[in-house]
Amino acid sequence: MASQNIYILAIESSCDDTAASVMLNGRILSNVVANQKIHEEYGGVVPELASRAHQQNIVPVVQQALKKAGVEKSQLNAIAFTRGPGLMGSLLVGTSFAKSLAYGLNIPLIDVNHMQAHILAHFIDEEDFNKPEFPFLAMTISGGHTQIVKVSNYFDMEVIGETIDDAVGEAYDKSGKILGLGYPAGPEIDKRAQQGNPKAFKFTKPKVDGLNFSFSGLKTAILYFIQKETKANPNFIEENLNDICASIQYTIIGILIDKLKLASKETGIKHIAIGGGVSANSGIRKALKDGEKKFGWTTYIPKFEYTTDNAAMIAIVGHLKFLEGEFSQNNVVASARLKL
Amino acid sequence: MEITYQISDIHSIAEAVIKHASSRTILFYGEMGVGKTTLIKAIVEHLGSNDLVSSPTFSLVNEYSSPSDTIFHFDFYRIENEEEALNFGVEDYFYSSAWKLVEWPEKIPNLIPDDAEIITILSDENGKRTLKFDQNIKLTKKKPMEQQNFL
Repeated sequence: MASQNIYILAIESSCDDTAASVMLNGRILSNVVANQKIHEEYGGVVPELASRAHQQNIVPVVQQALKKAGVEKSQLNAIAFTRGPGLMGSLLVGTSFAKSLAYGLNIPLIDVNHMQAHILAHFIDEEDFNKPEFPFLAMTISGGHTQIVKVSNYFDMEVIGETIDDAVGEAYDKSGKILGLGYPAGPEIDKRAQQGNPKAFKFTKPKVDGLNFSFSGLKTAILYFIQKETKANPNFIEENLNDICASIQYTIIGILIDKLKLASKETGIKHIAIGGGVSANSGIRKALKDGEKKFGWTTYIPKFEYTTDNAAMIAIVGHLKFLEGEFSQNNVVASARLKL
Repeated sequence: MEITYQISDIHSIAEAVIKHASSRTILFYGEMGVGKTTLIKAIVEHLGSNDLVSSPTFSLVNEYSSPSDTIFHFDFYRIENEEEALNFGVEDYFYSSAWKLVEWPEKIPNLIPDDAEIITILSDENGKRTLKFDQNIKLTKKKPMEQQNFL
């Protein structure tokens, strides 16, 4: 009868953050991301030779995820973890911990692809959020990623477009740097963009074949534009900041939407799901809503806490793989370059 | 050595860099937008890799492979202190036999291998780039004692 309830503990440590989440039957019970507060609650950071942040974080994060969920280790049915892609040193910590815990508890281990998890985050049970219909197009937009994936089924995915240089979040952050804004600059550019004229300044969109993206040239174009204008008027940025932000945002969103339109046309798919931290941007949300009216799209955006790097999205993949009986071998290893 | 080039010359420049490099660790200094990633893209191609080269600003390190080599592409732009680089195991990468192409090395002056080749890229108003080898950029190393503090 134990199979009626499926408890998954998920661990994510692919980049900067250490995160853990507990899921019951596709619903999130807890979703914890490491921060300094966790150290305070557990007696502070213990300095040790060549310690890595994930090593310090992983035990308190997992303990807190279990505690918040009100779940005992003995209730868990499987441990899911991020196998890749990501930083090798970071992945190793999560992988070793997950393997040891699964071995100790004598329960199955499930390896998860981080990029697949960004997409399957849409399938976490959450009130007021609809799950996409297959097939759909998933666009992941964040500080590190910009890609369009054709999703035919949970585990049948194909990358049909991706950035050939900078990610879209990086384009926001580096534009912000040029303008003297803080880091991360995306939210402030978005806020100012809403008070500015998007057509005040024109930046050329890159010409990239097919469904791939490029943002590197835009960054350089903005840099040269600002250098030229501030030479003529040292107060140019201050006097035009909202208009500059609006024009940058207009250009970036134009690039994203143009490729989505092309992808939709080429594949005939009108269900479009977006994820990644940049999906919080008000301009992209509005552009997607417009797409529903103009092109007959159905669009999906998950709850914000499931769009950035988090363990809840690892948990849902763990849950779906558990249902399929897709477990890892004991000799599974982290893979920094894991592909979709 | 100094070479002036346009973006259209990037492939012959990449070839010259590989030929001239005295070390498998190459540091690329230069302002944002000067074309560090673009040059590295061409270098990776010339090293025989077909992998997609994209900016590692967020991921910190990308790994590419060619039939004969592994190539690590670093970007320390968003690093705020050197401890973050140690935390992800930068030393394990630096002291491997792979190619190491490094953007924003000025963020981690104490962690740079001593034998690294140094390249500086400058741009002028007309979009022309100048590439300088072996510029004596003074790496402002902290005293060893201070370095001990975060270990």
